Parts: sequence; structure tokens; C-alpha cells
Amino acid sequence: MALLDYRNDMQRCSRCSLCKWPPLAQIKSWRFSNVCPSMVWGNFHAYSAGGKLIAALSLLDGRIDYSDKFLEIVYQCQMGGACDVSCKVTRDLEPLEVMLELRAKCVEDGQLLPAHMVMIESLRNDDNPMGKLKAERGKWAEGLDVKDITREKADVLYFAGCRYSFDQDLWGIARGAVTLLKKAGVDVGISGKEEACCGGRAYEMGYRGELTKYAEHNIETWNTAGVRTVVTSCSDCYGTFKYHYPKVGKTMNFEVLHITEYLDRLIKEGKLKPTRKVPLQVTYHDPCHLGRLSEAYIPWEGVERKVLGQIVIQDPPKEFRRGTNGIYEPPRDVLKSIPGLELVEMERIKEYAWCCGAGGGVKEAYPDFALWTAKERIEEAEATGAEALVTACPWCERNFRDALEQDGEKMKLYNIVELLLEAL
Amino acid sequence: MALTGNVYQVLEDIVGSENISDEPVILDTYAFQYLAETETGTKFCARPGAVVLPGSTEEVQAIVKTCNRYGVKYKALSTGWGVWNAVSGAGTIQLDLRRMNRILDIDEKNMYAVVEPYVIGAQLQVEAMKRGLNCHIVGAGANFSPLASCTSLCGHGLSGIFMGYSARNPLAVEWVLPTGDILRLGSLGSGAGWFCGDGPGLSLRGVMRGFLGAMGAMGVFTKCAVKLYPWHGPPVLPMQGVTPEYRTSVPDNFRFCAIAFPNWDSFADATYKICEAEIGYVMGRQLPPGLVPLLLARSSAEYAQIRQSGMADEIMQEFKHAFLLVLAGGSLREIEYQEKALREILAETGGWIPSLTQDPEVQKLGFSFMLKADRQALIFKLACTFHTSFGAPTAWDAAVAGAKMGEKIKKKYIEKGVVVDDLADNAWGGPYEQGRFGHLEELFMYDPSDPESAKGAVEYIAEADEAVLKGSLGQPIGALPKQAVNVYGPACFNYQDWMRKLKRAFDPNIASDPISYIE
Ligand SMILES: Cc1cc2nc3c(=O)[nH]c(=O)nc-3n(C[C@H](O)[C@H](O)[C@H](O)COP(=O)(O)OP(=O)(O)OC[C@H]3O[C@@H](n4cnc5c(N)ncnc54)[C@H](O)[C@@H]3O)c2cc1C
Ligand code: SF4
Ligand code: SF4
Repeated sequence: MALLDYRNDMQRCSRCSLCKWPPLAQIKSWRFSNVCPSMVWGNFHAYSAGGKLIAALSLLDGRIDYSDKFLEIVYQCQMGGACDVSCKVTRDLEPLEVMLELRAKCVEDGQLLPAHMVMIESLRNDDNPMGKLKAERGKWAEGLDVKDITREKADVLYFAGCRYSFDQDLWGIARGAVTLLKKAGVDVGISGKEEACCGGRAYEMGYRGELTKYAEHNIETWNTAGVRTVVTSCSDCYGTFKYHYPKVGKTMNFEVLHITEYLDRLIKEGKLKPTRKVPLQVTYHDPCHLGRLSEAYIPWEGVERKVLGQIVIQDPPKEFRRGTNGIYEPPRDVLKSIPGLELVEMERIKEYAWCCGAGGGVKEAYPDFALWTAKERIEEAEATGAEALVTACPWCERNFRDALEQDGEKMKLYNIVELLLEAL
Repeated sequence: MALTGNVYQVLEDIVGSENISDEPVILDTYAFQYLAETETGTKFCARPGAVVLPGSTEEVQAIVKTCNRYGVKYKALSTGWGVWNAVSGAGTIQLDLRRMNRILDIDEKNMYAVVEPYVIGAQLQVEAMKRGLNCHIVGAGANFSPLASCTSLCGHGLSGIFMGYSARNPLAVEWVLPTGDILRLGSLGSGAGWFCGDGPGLSLRGVMRGFLGAMGAMGVFTKCAVKLYPWHGPPVLPMQGVTPEYRTSVPDNFRFCAIAFPNWDSFADATYKICEAEIGYVMGRQLPPGLVPLLLARSSAEYAQIRQSGMADEIMQEFKHAFLLVLAGGSLREIEYQEKALREILAETGGWIPSLTQDPEVQKLGFSFMLKADRQALIFKLACTFHTSFGAPTAWDAAVAGAKMGEKIKKKYIEKGVVVDDLADNAWGGPYEQGRFGHLEELFMYDPSDPESAKGAVEYIAEADEAVLKGSLGQPIGALPKQAVNVYGPACFNYQDWMRKLKRAFDPNIASDPISYIE
């Protein structure tokens, strides 16, 4: 699909602003009743999803041209899709798809952000968007007793992803994940320095070609390696594998699991037994790509038709991506399995969770906006009275860490893996 | 830059550079509006000269005075949903009040809240419920601004049977007049707080908004005390389910059901009786027959399948003369009494409770959407937009007469294929103020991205409006005063002359953009 294919969606936006709020039935207080970081940061309607639809229509119709402000509106957005969920409570529209297409068009037309160009340059040279050398990719696992699937066979591939591979502060979590899998007797391997980016971040920034390239490469590599399961601790990678990889049309001979799904399964099968008390009250942050954006891709090819006069239908009927079937319970179930640990919920959770702020190329291009978004979430976590904020994604974790450090906040921050390790 | 001279600079000095813009991309997102196609033939109305985001009453006042000084117009919006927010052209500054978004007070004892323009109904409702109170929510849904509804536009919603019409709900109001002077209405005017709209101090509610509201043409309302009503449910209504099917259990002292009747007469009689018995908490025709299958469908394609398969025909038939009702008791004894009263009314009028709404899951769903008005926008699902006709606020029997007439005219447009086939019956509304008056507006759905459909919509409205006039059915609810006064004014003692006189007295420079109102 191209931007033009969504022209009707743009015209059918009613400017109702529902994409600025959580689904209305889920609003629990005045304080935490926004759902779109871009809108709260930018304040003009243009920053909302509905606003971006109008901006896209205006561009297509030649009413406006590219400008710095236009690009700021397009890119000052984490592409976390809370807007999409809220819109789809009552509509069959695709605001997030339009926003993705709009970015792709910007890139096609050479309307690029310097910060994103640096990331893409790094991706093209070193297979990661973080400005690191490819040769250093496997370092996180040094000294870890784990198979290298480029040399030997393993049932399960642990995919670290770029953030865990290169963010030394977070290496412990990736190592912990492998340790847990091994403790449960899983035959697990990694790709070390041969691992390449998933391509998802580039896709969300508008660089379509990179996704296709990495999807083809990774699917082929894993099919050839004969792995049964690909497991990752990175929510972004997970969402990319589940939703974007199937689009390239290559058969995937493996199952994709997020580490929290796998751990939940291992606990329920009795292969991991959390017995040590971890006396802590925690609250859990749903990463966008593990929650509402993790639903498996459901291919749809069809046409739009009118029936009963003017009812617009998709023929054959299309299963809209509404965030209904995201991975919401497995991470919670892992936490609940830990003795002594108490989980309290924030107000904006699951499909209408507030984003951590790091996604969509925002952390790199608009670091202040990214940190502000994280701080808003930290305040919400603090309002629950919990001592710790727990997440299941390295991007969220990096951004929360930076925000906590900047403000000298006391709230503790954990990954689910760390807590489970403590409980064993 | 569309604004002449140094107006932009003066405005920027007032609000700061981050709170003003004349970037085309920003302006176009204010020019684009719901229903624009019925006014301009496209999705866009005129672009404002600039959009300004004031953060306080002082800033609003300074902006308004600047506009008066430089001969520039201005127009305020709260949530900005609908073509009545549009400006007349680049000579108008759009004031987006979203930075003024606080609930300043909830006075439990005196049962009111003081709100700024960008507080929405859903926010106010959850905060009020924590204190045993509730607020009126209009039919647009809980994403509306209670301040805008109280001061500037309409005010009918299905909680109106118990919580009144929004014209009745404002107490004291802070008003930046079209000239920039600040007027404090009601008790606020004499420094006595927010508790009363009618004094001690000036009581100018009629001038402020009349029945319909001045739609941004009478200055800017910056704070408003809104009446709250008793809420006998839990402080927090826990939602179950995942999107898009949120629902909540019906508390013991509440009831939810649909009530169906054999014909319009018994439907109308029962409405009067329920209002006389003072037992309704939320009530109205939320699900006209053609929309009932939306309860069972997630997408428009699923809806169409249900309709075309005939599987919902019986249910739709049952909903032909039906409304949805929430009863709320202050105690279990009270709810039992209300239920008994309802049963008697049903027996007297030949009504019944359709089995669909006896299903516990449907009850949870229906209760939550009647109470929270969170999914009103479902009507956009089918053709992506809708518009309205008929619906003058009137006696309930007259409202029913309008609904019947609407059905007759709409049939022709359904046959032409330019609007959705909703069985021609999409009359939405209810009785308000315990039945003192009510309204039923004939909604119709069309596709705004389809020029033929949009054109058909305009033609339908023209024909419906003519029928209204001929049948003396009262001014249609959706008619913008600008055009409507010329059509209906002469039939109603030329009320527009008074509107015009007031507008000119309050706004000698015609600075508050009258595009949707009267000059
Ligand atoms: C789909 C849809 C359905 C609707 N259904 C109903 C309904 O059932 N019942 C009903 O009562 N209304 C209805 N409305 C009309 C309107 O939305 C409501 O009346 C609402 O209460 C106004 O609040 P808002 O947030 O929409 O205001 P806005 O859209 O922000 O403004 C409405 C009007 O008031 C003016 N205005 C807003 N704030 C101020 C201010 N602070 N000072 C001066 N002028 C101001 C604006 O210029 C505009 O003309 C509907 C609207 C839509 C789009
Ligand atoms: S994108 Fe959807 S929710 Fe947002 S304004 Fe448009 S129709 Fe409403
Ligand atoms: S993706 Fe997130 S930041 Fe972007 S418009 Fe949607 S809710 Fe707002």
C-alpha cells in the first residue's frame, strides 16, 4: 500500500480527537487521561494522529508542501500506536498505517532527519542503528556458556537485538535471559557477532527497504539454521517479527516468542520454579511493541465496497489490528509467580498504555521529548505507590533509566528477567 | 503570513512563540472539519490566519483586546469537533483552548465542579464519581467539553432525563466578552463564589447562549461552574474486557434494559409515564433498529453480513419503537420500587423488555455505554460520517411526529443509494428534565469521501428542512443559526432581530467571528 491508497481514510477522519485519549471507558482520572505523547508535547491538533491524517491529505492534495514544521509533526511521534487503538474502538480506519506510509513518503521524497540518517548510515555499514561496530556485536555474551548457532545446531535461537547487544548497561539482562533458558533445560544458541538488526526501527522511521533486506536475511538464516523457536527479550524486535516479517512473503519455519512468553510457559510447565521471596511491590509497563503492536500479521487482500447504500466494507472482511490480542498476560503471570512480589497496576495499561517515549526514532532525533514522555510514565508508576517499575523491553528500560537519572528519582527499575532470576 | 502588520508579533508576545503558529500544516488541521463537505463541498473550511493556544484568562483577554484593536477576528474552540468551529477566513485567529484544561474545584456539598474549556466529560465524570457525583454527558459522547456545552452549543444527551439540558447546568461563569472585558456571571459577579448562575450578581444565561449557543460568536468562556448530580454507584466503575468491547457489571442498585413497544403511540405514552414517575437516570433512543446489529459486529463488514443474512431482522423489528433505560436507586428498596413502577408502566402501555438486553453480557455492555457515553462515535463506523435533521427541542409527541416524517423522506434517499440504508429509522434522542421536553433527531449516514454521497446528504437536508417548515416542527437541531435564522426566524416572531441586536451590543467591532452565528 502507498500513502495514496489511504486517501479515503484521511477524508473519513472526523477530527473527533478520540485518538488523544485512552478509550473513554478506560479513563480513570484527570491526571492520567492523555494517551498521545506527541499531542501533549506539541499541543496543536496537527500533532495528534487525526492531525497527521489531515496533514497527509493536505500534502497529497497539494494544499501544503514539506516544511521543517511538517517534518517535526511527522517525526515527533513514537509510532507506539495508542492513537490507533483508541480510534478503532469506534472506527474501521487505519491511522497508524497512514502515519507509517507518510514517513515512507517523506523518505522517498528525500525529506530526512539528520539524526535518522546517522542511524541508517550505521545500519548500512554495521547492521545496527546505534553507531557501533558490527565486530563488537557479540560481546554481551562473552564468557557465557551458550551455543553459537553459526557453528552448531540448537533448538532455540536467542536474538539479543541491537539495544541489548550494544548497551553495556543492559548486558546483564540478555545474559540473564539466556541463563534462565539454560536453567530450564532449553537447548539455546545465539548468533553472536553475526546477528543483524531486525530492521523494525528503520521501518518505523520510513526506511522500508531496510526492513525487507533484514527480514529476508534473518528469515533465511534462521530457516537454514533449522531453529524451532526464535526468542527475543526486545519488544521492538518481537513486534517486528510478528507483524512486519510475514509481509515479505517468505515462509518462517520457526515460532517467535518474547522472552516473557517463553518464561511464562516454562514456569507453567514446572521447568522454572520461582521459590525465593522477592518482597517488592511493583508496577508493570506494557511496551508498545509487546502489547498493542505485537498482534500477529493477518494478511488481507481485497477491495473496499459499498453495500446497503453507503456502508463502506472491506471485501473479504478484514481483521483490523486493534490491539485486542497483544501479549498482556504472560509478563504479568511471570511477575505473579514470584513469591512475595505484589503487582499493582497503573491507570493506563495494556492496549492503552502510555508509551515509554523511546520509539519511532524519537530518542535519537528528539531526546528531550523522549525523556519527558518517560517521566510522565514514571509519575504514573509512582502514583501507584509501587517501589519499582518493571518492564520487558530494552528501549523502555534505557529511556526510563535516563529519565530517572536526569531527575535523581528514587524509583527502582527492573526487567522481568532480573526479578525472576532473584526468585530462583 | 496571512495576518497583516505586527499582529502576529503582538500575539506571540502574549502567549510565547511555542503557542502560536501560522504554519500551513498547522492551519490546515483546523480548517479540516467534520461536516465541512456540507458547507464547502470539501473536507476543508477556510484556514485561520493563525492558531493561538492561550494558557490563562489573562492571555485570552489580551488576545481579544489585541484583535479588537487591530481589526482582526477571533474564534475560540474547546475540543474543536464540528464545522461550527470553522472560521470565516485568514482574517480570523483561532483560539484553541486546550492548554486551559483544569478541573479547578469539585464542591461535593454544593454539587458542582468548576472547569476550564478543555476538560472533557469523561475526565469530569470519573473525578465526580469518586465523590458520589455525576455529570451530564451530551450525545456527542464523553469526549465533549462540559464548559463548551454549557456556554456555547446545545446540551442534549441521554442523561438529560435526570441531569437536564446543558443550558440549565451552568452556574457561575467567567466570560471574556467580545470586546475583551471580563464579565463574571452569577454569584461570582458579587464575589460570592461559583454556586449560583443567577445571582447575587448578573444572570445573563439567556444572552450568553440562548437555547442553542452562540458557537464562538460571543467572546470566550474561560471558566464555568457545572452542576453535578447524585451518583449512587461505586467510586470507580471497574471495566472488564479488552478493546473494543469494554463493559462493566451493573451494580445491585442499578438496572439496565431496553424497553420495546408495539407502536409509536405506546412508545410516547410510556415515555411520559416514566418521566412522571421520575424513575429514569439515563434514557433514550440510543440504538434505533438499524444500529442494533452494531452491538454484535466489530467491523462494518461484519455489520453488513449480519444485516444481509437476516439474522438480526427479528431483533431490529423488536427495537422499532424502543429505547434504552438505566434506572438508579439510592438504595436497594428504591431500585425495587423503580422496577415495580416500570413493570406497571409496561403493563399499561403494552411494552416489554427484549430478550437481547436480558442477556447479562449485553447488560454489562449497554450499561457501560449508556452511563459513560464512550462509544457514541460508533455511528461513524458504517459510512464514516453522519449528519442530522429534524430534532427541534419540543414536546415528546411532537418529537415523535418529526421522527415519523424523517423516516418518510429518508426512504427516498436510501432508494437513490446516497445514504446508508438504516431502515430509514435512525431517530436519536430522549426526554429531558423529567420529560418537560425532548427531542428526536433523524440521523443519516453518508460517506464524506464520496462526492455523490456528500451531495445526496446536502439534498436530503434541504428537503427535510422544508418539511420541518411546512409541518411547523420547530428549528432543526443541526441547523447553523447563520442560515437557519433566515428560514425559521420569520416563522418565529423574527427572533433573529433580537439575536442580532444582542450580538452588536456586545460585539460592536464584530470581532468574535460570527460565521456560524449571526452578524
Ligand atoms: C458527532 C457529533 C455529535 C454531536 N451530538 C450532540 C448531541 O447529541 N448533543 C449536543 O448537545 N451536542 C452535540 N454535538 C455538538 C457539540 O459537540 C456539543 O454541543 C458539545 O457539547 C460542545 O462541546 P465541544 O467540545 O464539542 O465543543 P467545541 O467543538 O470545541 O465547540 C463547539 C462550539 O462552541 C464554541 N466554543 C467552544 N468553546 C468555547 C469557549 N470556551 N468560548 C467560546 N466559544 C466556544 C466553538 O467555537 C464552537 O462553535 C455533537 C457534535 C458532534 C461533532
Ligand atoms: S484519527 Fe480516528 S480518533 Fe483521531 S480524529 Fe480521526 S477519526 Fe477521530
Ligand atoms: S503513535 Fe503515539 S505519539 Fe504518535 S500519534 Fe499515535 S499516540 Fe501519538
